[in-house]
Amino acid sequence: MQVLKINNLTKDYGRIRALDHLNMTVEQGQIMGILGPNGSGKTTTLGIILGILKQSEGDFTWFENKYGKSHRLKIGSILETPNFFPYLNALENLDIVRQIKGSSDDNYDELLKLVKLYGRRKSTFKTYSLGMKQRLAIAATLIGDPEVVIFDEPTNGLDPEGIAEVRNTLQKIASRGKTVIMASHILDEVEKICSHVTIIKRGKLMASGSIGNILSNDLTLEIGCHDLELLKNYLSGRTDIRLDHQNDKFITCLADEQFDVAQLNFDLHTKNIPLTHLVARKTRLEEEFLTITSAQNRN
Amino acid sequence: MLRLLKLEFSKFRKSTVIVLLASFYFLFLPFSMYVATTLPEIPGLATKNTLVSFTKVWEYAGYAGNWMVFFFFGVLMIYTISLEVRFKTMRQSIIIGLSRKEFFISKLLIILALALIASLYYALVTFIIGWLNTSEPDLALAFTNEWAIPRYFLMCVSYMSFAMMFAYIFRNAGVAIFIYLSYVMIGENLIRLAHLKFQESGLTNYYPMNATEDLMPLPLFKLAEYIQKKEFDFDLLLSYGTAATMTSIYICIFIAISYYNFMKKDV
Repeated sequence: MQVLKINNLTKDYGRIRALDHLNMTVEQGQIMGILGPNGSGKTTTLGIILGILKQSEGDFTWFENKYGKSHRLKIGSILETPNFFPYLNALENLDIVRQIKGSSDDNYDELLKLVKLYGRRKSTFKTYSLGMKQRLAIAATLIGDPEVVIFDEPTNGLDPEGIAEVRNTLQKIASRGKTVIMASHILDEVEKICSHVTIIKRGKLMASGSIGNILSNDLTLEIGCHDLELLKNYLSGRTDIRLDHQNDKFITCLADEQFDVAQLNFDLHTKNIPLTHLVARKTRLEEEFLTITSAQNRN
Repeated sequence: MLRLLKLEFSKFRKSTVIVLLASFYFLFLPFSMYVATTLPEIPGLATKNTLVSFTKVWEYAGYAGNWMVFFFFGVLMIYTISLEVRFKTMRQSIIIGLSRKEFFISKLLIILALALIASLYYALVTFIIGWLNTSEPDLALAFTNEWAIPRYFLMCVSYMSFAMMFAYIFRNAGVAIFIYLSYVMIGENLIRLAHLKFQESGLTNYYPMNATEDLMPLPLFKLAEYIQKKEFDFDLLLSYGTAATMTSIYICIFIAISYYNFMKKDV
């Protein structure tokens, strides 16, 4: 089933166009990452599809209109910051969410244990650290057993331990088979958690598909030696390697999936260019993201 | 409806500000009646206990309640909305499934529920105080009050819906409370004064907060009205029926403006 379909979504704030005819589809069971730099329109997109912002143009459909106007009851979401009543405790805040969702059989204890807040369930929200607030918000998204959960920058502002805990919780949620939509500007986070990715920049769609499809099969090679100029001259003469960029320790190149790294090592040795650094790895999402977004800049 | 009312109760039952504002009303209304029992006789105008015995007690308690509802419940109403804006729970409620219409209705239900509770409390306190301070009380005399309880209810709804309108327009508690209090206490009086200078007419009585106040006017206003009639050829007060009609119309306008404003804006 198509969980979400976005058609030509556009949002203008005065003369500033935050979203520019964005199209996107999320299928059931996907873990979709919406990736983009700060200010690219990720939160605006989520704000519109969650009903708190009005679009200037375009439309969107949830669950192929299966639930009509009550579709948001089937969605659990955190948008930007965790929003709760500061003078109420975790249980009372979750109960407010339950009342809005109209659900009846939620096990608060189980949810709070999942996000490791059970021990602080009777403390007021205002006494929580940012990480705890974020984890309570994650627990709240699961009230009413929603079909889709949406997270907007779920690790924003957290310390490394908090980030690890939240990521761990998100992976547990994803493993329950729910459709997850997650906006983030942290590529590593998206690469680790998501099955699919939509890349947007300045409100425009740049690329969309499974992580596997977005990532090319190219190998990334990091090659270093004492004389980088000599190495660069040699590599630029080869047709099976494309130079990408250079730092003071090594040169980064791209090569086909079948490229023979051992042969390259041997060739350099015979050319009397002894290596100090040689790494061959699959291209990371970060590199792909930079390639996609910088291509748009050049256009 | 009951679900939404229960939801609102869950949200605010532990808010110190809201509990305090409501408590002040429940404490100060009987306290103001106690103060009236200590007032000395005013020769030719009021004997001792005039204000707290039937039938004048309905007017006096209504007038005291007029100020308290205006202040405590008006501010409370602004707070229930601006607090949700400040803590972003308004947007969160909509994100997780409440429709905008349901959110709006839930605030209207607070108004109706508080107005009902405040009116019943007014009726109870007034009845008890009146009964204790009337020399020969009986039920017929006790309830001779010219529809005081429904008038009080309408007054409560009017103040709170007026306050709600400012809360939706300005969103910020400080600004909304300042504008609300300033308009009711100073702003409208200045406008009426300017209107009176421009045109000496009873139309000046038809302004929204004046119409609301005239539902529960100062008990001794009748005397003032007599004095004023010497100066102007129109009544100082609206009749209860006219005040109730005008207030009802204004309530519809306040609610309509609030609704339009809330539905139109991003949250």
